[in-house]
Amino acid sequence: MKLIELVILIVVVLAVALLITVGFEHIIPSTSVRRLAEFYLYTAYNPLVNYTAMSPEAVTAIVWDFRGLDTLFETSVFYLALIGSLALVRGLFVEHVEKSGHGLSIIVRTVTRITAPMIIAVGASIGLHGHLTPGGGFQGGSVIAVLPMIVIVVFSAGFLVLKGVTTSKLITTRSLGLIGIGVTAIALFLAGLALGTSAYVFQNMAKPAAQISMPVSIGGALISGTLWFFNLFEMFAVAAGFTIAFLAIMMARTLEAEKR
Amino acid sequence: MVPGETGVYLLMAIMSLLSAIAVYMAIRERDLVRAVIYSALQSGLYAILYFLLLAPDIGLVYIPVAVGLIPGVLLVLISKTERWERE
Repeated sequence: MKLIELVILIVVVLAVALLITVGFEHIIPSTSVRRLAEFYLYTAYNPLVNYTAMSPEAVTAIVWDFRGLDTLFETSVFYLALIGSLALVRGLFVEHVEKSGHGLSIIVRTVTRITAPMIIAVGASIGLHGHLTPGGGFQGGSVIAVLPMIVIVVFSAGFLVLKGVTTSKLITTRSLGLIGIGVTAIALFLAGLALGTSAYVFQNMAKPAAQISMPVSIGGALISGTLWFFNLFEMFAVAAGFTIAFLAIMMARTLEAEKR
Repeated sequence: MVPGETGVYLLMAIMSLLSAIAVYMAIRERDLVRAVIYSALQSGLYAILYFLLLAPDIGLVYIPVAVGLIPGVLLVLISKTERWERE
């Protein structure tokens, strides 16, 4: 019965795919790049023109420079959701530091200890190279946030608190990340006020009406002005934010189990 | 031997079909833990699809969030409620 349903499903999927393929025979796509895409590809890494972001990664240039304000509000939506979930479990969890049990078997624990620095390294690499390769602050932060989840499953939530990863420290990290994003957004505006020239909020490189720009590279390493700082602070804020949510959920469970 | 571009399209077709099957299994499964694993499998196949469709940025979000974080949270929620879906 299940198999027949599955075969019917596959036939329907293939039929729809065939229909779309046959239908698209009559739509001849344009071979040229659209004008908006052309603008982004031309200006993303081009020191000779105005409106450049000085980043070879066009996606990060669009996300944090060309439409940076949108990304700022996306980030604030994520933090509002997090604040909401923290408010839900408030009073349901306390941080207790005693180790409950020994976790899973010694093989799993040893493998976790070996892979832990690797996960951090991969996350930091994705986050800090966001202006050079695919990836960015959110991607790197969520990769790093996988580690506390694995540690909670393999050891326990109390083990994480015992190692110094407490809720108050995580909230401090998250707040520092948010403050960093805010300061980076208005850094050039404040510099413009101090120097007496005009500058925009969320400005990265020099614009026609505002001729000051963020440093393109530090010591020969390309940082693309604000993009590297945005990715760095976003990475810390996202990793800490996800970890708070797990810790709160897991702690709430242990407290409920104790009450029973 | 198939030429490179055709091979990529073929791989995409196989991934899409497998993800459709995984979705069906996730919906029909009465054991919620296994349903979560099928859902994670579908997300992993989608991550490969995003990579093949030249959107590695989305793929990099998809792998940790949809394969690591969301199944983890769902498993915690299942452990707090019931494992078996009722009629």
